[in-house]
Amino acid sequence: MSDLALKPLSAFRGHLAFTGMSEASGAGVTLEVRDDLAMAIVIARKGRLAALAENVCQTYGIDLPAGPKRVAAGSLAFIGTGPGQFLAVEQGGDALTFASRLAGALGDAASISDQSASRAVLRVSGPRVRGVLAKGLAIDLHPSVFRPGDAALSSIALIGAHLWQLDERPTYEISVFRSLAGSFAEFIWSSAAEYGVTIDNP
Amino acid sequence: MRIPCPYCGERDIHEFAYLGDATVSRPDPARNDAVQAFYEYVYLRDNPAGSFQELWYHAAGCHSWLVVTRDTRTHAIFGARLASREAS
Amino acid sequence: MAAQSQPARLQSGGLIDRARPLEFQFDGRKMTGYAGDTLASALVANGVTLTGRSFKYHRPRGVLTAGSEEPNALVELRGGSRREPNTKATTVELFAGLEARSQNRWPSLTFDALSVNSLFAPLLVAGFYYKTFMWPAAFWEKLYEPLIRKAAGLGRASGLPDPDTYEKAFAFCDVLVIGGGPTGLMAALTACRAGARVILCDEDFGFGGRLLSETFEIAGISGASWVGETVAELAESANVTLMRRTTVFGVYDTGTYGALERVGDHLPTHVPHQPRQRLWKIVAKRAVLAAGAIERPIVFGGNDRPGAVMAAAVRSYVNRYAAVPGRRIAVFTNNDDGWKTVADCAAAGIPVEAVIDPRANLPEGLRNLADRAGATLFAGGRVLDAYGVSSGLQAIDVETAGGSIVTLNADCLAMSGGWNPALALTTHLGSRPVWRPDIHAFVASAPPPGLEVAGAANGSLALAACLAEGAAEGAKAAEAAGFSASMPAIPAVGADPTGMMPLWKVERSRTKAFVDFQNDVTAKDIAISESEGYRSVEHLKRYTALGMATDQGKTANVNALAIMAALTGKSIPETGVTTFRPPYTPVAIAAFAGHHRGKHFRPTRLTPSHLWAAEQGAPFVETGQWLRAQWYPRPGETDWLVSVSREVNATRSGVGVCDVSTLGKIDIMGADAGAFLDRVYINTFSTLAIGKVRYGVMLREDGIVMDDGTTARLADHHYYMSTTTVNAAKVMQHLEFCHQVLWPELDVQLASATEQWAQFAIAGPNARDTLRGLIDPEFDISNEALPYMGATTLTICGGLPARLFRISFSGELAYEIAVPAGYGDGLIRAIMSVGAPFGVTPYGTEALGVMRIEKGHAAGNELNGTITAADLGLGRMMSTKKDYIGRVMAERPGLADPERPRLVGFKPVDRAQRLRAGAHFLPLGAKAVAANDEGFMTSVAFSPSLNHWIGLGYLKNGASRLGERVRAHDPVRGLEFEVEICDPIFIDPKGERLRV
Ligand SMILES: [Zn+2]
Repeated sequence: MSDLALKPLSAFRGHLAFTGMSEASGAGVTLEVRDDLAMAIVIARKGRLAALAENVCQTYGIDLPAGPKRVAAGSLAFIGTGPGQFLAVEQGGDALTFASRLAGALGDAASISDQSASRAVLRVSGPRVRGVLAKGLAIDLHPSVFRPGDAALSSIALIGAHLWQLDERPTYEISVFRSLAGSFAEFIWSSAAEYGVTIDNP
Repeated sequence: MRIPCPYCGERDIHEFAYLGDATVSRPDPARNDAVQAFYEYVYLRDNPAGSFQELWYHAAGCHSWLVVTRDTRTHAIFGARLASREAS
Repeated sequence: MAAQSQPARLQSGGLIDRARPLEFQFDGRKMTGYAGDTLASALVANGVTLTGRSFKYHRPRGVLTAGSEEPNALVELRGGSRREPNTKATTVELFAGLEARSQNRWPSLTFDALSVNSLFAPLLVAGFYYKTFMWPAAFWEKLYEPLIRKAAGLGRASGLPDPDTYEKAFAFCDVLVIGGGPTGLMAALTACRAGARVILCDEDFGFGGRLLSETFEIAGISGASWVGETVAELAESANVTLMRRTTVFGVYDTGTYGALERVGDHLPTHVPHQPRQRLWKIVAKRAVLAAGAIERPIVFGGNDRPGAVMAAAVRSYVNRYAAVPGRRIAVFTNNDDGWKTVADCAAAGIPVEAVIDPRANLPEGLRNLADRAGATLFAGGRVLDAYGVSSGLQAIDVETAGGSIVTLNADCLAMSGGWNPALALTTHLGSRPVWRPDIHAFVASAPPPGLEVAGAANGSLALAACLAEGAAEGAKAAEAAGFSASMPAIPAVGADPTGMMPLWKVERSRTKAFVDFQNDVTAKDIAISESEGYRSVEHLKRYTALGMATDQGKTANVNALAIMAALTGKSIPETGVTTFRPPYTPVAIAAFAGHHRGKHFRPTRLTPSHLWAAEQGAPFVETGQWLRAQWYPRPGETDWLVSVSREVNATRSGVGVCDVSTLGKIDIMGADAGAFLDRVYINTFSTLAIGKVRYGVMLREDGIVMDDGTTARLADHHYYMSTTTVNAAKVMQHLEFCHQVLWPELDVQLASATEQWAQFAIAGPNARDTLRGLIDPEFDISNEALPYMGATTLTICGGLPARLFRISFSGELAYEIAVPAGYGDGLIRAIMSVGAPFGVTPYGTEALGVMRIEKGHAAGNELNGTITAADLGLGRMMSTKKDYIGRVMAERPGLADPERPRLVGFKPVDRAQRLRAGAHFLPLGAKAVAANDEGFMTSVAFSPSLNHWIGLGYLKNGASRLGERVRAHDPVRGLEFEVEICDPIFIDPKGERLRV
C-alpha cells in the first residue's frame, strides 16, 4: 500500500531540547545528529578474514584495520570492533539496501547484519569536547594517545557507546543504541552545558 | 582495576564480566563418567592464592572472552589473551 | 572598619587578600574575614575560640589544627536544603555570605544543657554501650538509644533533597603527584620537565603546603614566593594539570586513584550548569605521595580545651592568615619543630609566656630563642593540666623538672608531640606501615604498586630532604612512565633541625586527657580497655570507638598505640599498627552517584513506539532499562483492570497490537549456525526449514533453564533468535562464551539485532486482514503461504523491507512484524490506520501478561533460576539424540525427580476470589509449616475471557493432580484460599486459534 509510505524517525527526535538551553549556548561543544549513516556489522566467516580483507580492499580500496581503528575511503568506512569484526558505515547512501549491497560485494567471506537503524549517532566537536566526554568515558582521549582514525567500544555514563575520532579539532562521532538516544543526549547536555553548547542539526 | 584487553587496550574493570577459572574445560559428554566430570566442571573450583587464570568477558567493549592472569592476593594482572583458541 | 571587627588579626602579613573583605556569619553573629581565609582562620581572627561541643561529653571545643585532620571544629555549613553537617572549619574556604553554625549545643554554644553528660562521664567510658545496656532489649530501643542519640552525635542533616549537582570524571596521566607542598612541587616540576603528563592535586585552595605556613627561605626568596614561581612554571606547561581543592581520597588497584574536586564549595552561589563537586577516577602510570605529615597532640589533662592548638597550626594562623590564636601563648613541645612556633610568635610580636619541653638538655640555640622571646623555659617540664571556661583556656599547671607544680596564665597552648607521616593512602590496598624508631613514627612499608612516597609523608621531615626526595621521586616516576628525566638543581634552604624526645602521655594529669578528640576517647578509656583485656589495637578500636570517627583517628591513633604499649609493657610496633580505608576524608554519597540520580539513576531505553504511546496517554512500566507501555487507557477508564480487560477482549475478539521490540534479537549466521543452535538449545534447530520458526529452550550448564524464545531460519546460514527482554544481554554473553570458548571451531557469527528492528505483535482473529493493509500486494500471507510458525521477509507500505513471523504469545492468530527501528513510529501509526476498520486495539504489557497466563506460557516469574525444562512441562523437548549445554546435569536424579514442582494452572474455588502471586500451596487441612509446603504461585491475572482470576505456579507432582484442591497460603498479606489445580493452558488448549 504505497499510500502508507513510511518515513524514518530520528532517534534523537524530541531528545535535544533542554531547559536552560539559551543561557548555555556557546562554542565549547557542538552537537550534530547524524541520521545519514547506513551501518552494518561485518564479521569474517571462519578462517576467511584474509579473503574478506582482500575483497574489501579490491572493492572499496579500504585496508581493513587489525585493531580498533576507522579506515575510510570516500563515503565508506570500516571500523574495527573486535577480532575479525567490523562496523561498516556509509554516509549518505540508502540505508535500506546497504547490508545487501555489502553482502553482494563481499560474497561468502563475511556474515553481515544490518544495523542501520540500531544506532543513534551524534557528532561532537569543539575545544571542550574532551572535557565533556571525560565525565562519562573512562578512555584516555589525550591527543598523544587517541588520534584521528582511532575508535573505541566502551560505555559513556553507563550507556554502551562506540566512538571514533574524525579530526584533530577534535571531532568525534559517538554511536549508541537507538533506544538510549534520549539518555545519552541528557548526559551530553548536562556535562557540556557549563562549557556552552551549540546544536547544529543537519 | 584495569584489564589489558588484547583488542581494545587497557580498560577499567567495570567494562568486564567475570566468569571464573579458565583452566577447566567442558568434559566430553560421551565419556562414561560424564555426570561426575560435569559435576566437577560445573561446581568444583580451586581457589589458589597467587597467579590464577580466569575468564573475563569484555562486555562493554569488543565482546571478546579473555583469559586473564591475575594474582588473587594482590589483584596484579600479568596479562590477558583472547580465550578463543583459534581466533579467525 | 573591617580591621576593627577582627580583633585577633595582625596588622600586616599573611597570604590573605586584605583588599577583599568577606562578610560571614557564625551562629548568627556577623563577622568579617578576608579572601584567602578559611572559616577557621576567620574565626580565629575574630577572636572566636569556642566552635562546638564534643560528640559524647559535649565538652567545649575550639580549633585544634589548620588542616583536614581537624577533629574538633566541625560546623554546619550553609542553610536550608544545602545545610551540610560536620564540615571542618579548617578546610572551608571563606566566601562572602558564608553561614555556619556550631553543632551539638542546646540551647546555645556557651551554655549547653547537655554538657551535664560530663557529670555522668563515668557512665560514658569505654565499653559503656556494651556494659550498661545489657538488660531487656526493649529498654535499648525505647529508652537508651533515643537518649544517647539526643545526647551524643554530630551535626544535623538537612533532610531535604540535595539541590546541587555532582559529576564523575575520568583522568589519565603519567605521573600523579598527591600533595602540592615542597615535596610535591619538586616532584611535579621534575616530572613535568621530563615531558610526562602530570596531574598535581592538593586538598588546599592554594599550593605550597607547609611553605605557606612557615617562614622558610628557599633559594634566597620566601617559601611562598618560591611556590608562586614553581606553580607558574607548572601552570604554563601544557602537560601539567593543576587540581586545587582536590583530595585524593583512595588508592585502588592497577594505578587507579579516587579524588574529589570541590568545584563550587567555595563559591557563594551556585554557578549554573556547574557541579558542586566532581569525583575523579584518575588512572596514573606512576604516583608520588607527597601528602606531608600530621602533627600529633600530647595527651595531658584538659588538652581538648579551646585554646589548646597544635603548634604548627598556630604558625599557620599567624604566618599564613595573620590571625592570632591567643594573647598569651605557651608552647608545649617535645621536638625542635615546635620551637618554630616560639620564634614565629615572637617575630609577629605575640607574647610567648612559657616554653615547656620535656627534654632536660636543650641545645643552646633553643635556650637563647626562649630568652629572646621573653618566655619562661621549663626544660624537662611537662604540662599536667589545662584549665579554663567554656570559651577557652585560662591557665596551665606545669610540672617542672624538679617535680614542683607551677600554674601559669595562658589563653593559648601550642602543643607538639612530633609528626606522623600522612601515609593513609599507602595502606588502602592492605600494606601495613612499619615503625621507624629514629623518628618515632610509622612510615609506609610496601606502598601500592606504582606509588612511591616522598618527603614528610616518607618520614623525611626536614625541608631540604623534602625538596631532594620530591625531585628524585618525580624523576623516578617519569622514567618509569617512559620519559627521560634529569634531576633539577635542588634549591638551597637553611638548617631545619628535627630533634625530638618521645612524649605520648603526661603522667599525673588530674583531669580528662583526650586521645581521640572527635570520638571523645580519653587516656583512661584506653586503660579500661587494657584492664578488661581488649589490648589488640583492633579490639581497642571497637571497645572505645577510637579512630572510628570521620577523621579515622589521624591525630589519635599513634598516641593511643603508644599509651597501650606503655600499659602492656610492649613496644609500639609490637602493640600494632593502624591502617586506613578510603576515603581519606569524607566524601558525599552524592559525589559517588554523580549524574546518576533521580531519573538518571540508570539509562532509560525507549521503544520505537514510545512517542506514539506517550501521545496515547499510556502509563509506562520499567522492565529492566526499558520503559514499556503498560496499557492504553480510553477516556473514562479510571481502573487499570478495566483498560487491560478491554485490551484482552478486543484482541481475542478482533485484533490487538503490541510493541514487542524489547525482546532480545540475535542474528546467528555462518555455515555452522544450525549446529551451534543444536548445542545451545535443548531441541534441534539444524533441521528447521528455511522460512520456519521454532520455540526453543536453553539451559545453563547445571541443567536449569536459562531462557526461552523463538528462533527463525531466514536463510541457509542465517537464523534470527529472540530472547526474553530481561535476559537479552545475558544470552548474548552466553552465546559468545559458547562460540569463543567452547566451540571456536564452528563457523558461526553472532550479532545483536535487538535495536535494529521495531517489532510489533499483531494478534487476534482479524490479524491477517489488518496485515494485508500493510503488506505490498505481491506477497501472499494466506494461511497456506505463511502457516503457523512460518517466517518470511517481504516489503510493506510500498517497498519497506520487513520480516514477518507467524508466531503467537497471545494464543490467537498472530504475527510479529519487524521493520528497521526508525520506521517503528511510522509502522505503529500505519497499523492503527489500516486496522481501524477491524477495531485494532493497542495493548500494553499488562494485557500481554494476562494473555500469556491464559495460555500458560512461562515468563520471568516462572524462569526463576531453579526450574528445569521438565518442571515447565517441556521435558519431551529435551533431545536425546545430541549433546547440548545442560544436558548431562539435567539428568541428575534431583532434577529429574517426578516429584518436583511442576508448572500447573490454578483457579480459585470461590470464583470471586482474587489470587495472589507468592502464595504457597499446602494440602487441605495441613498446618502452614515449611514441611508441608508443596510449591507456590508464580503469576496471577484476572482473566477477562473466563471472568475470574487464574494463576500459574509450581506444585509438587502437579501434572498428576489436575482437579485436586489445595490451600493457597499467603502469610505476607494474611490471606488463605482454596484453589483448584488445572492445566496451565486456560484458553484454546488444542491451539486451534493459532492455525486459522
Ligand atoms: Zn576488548
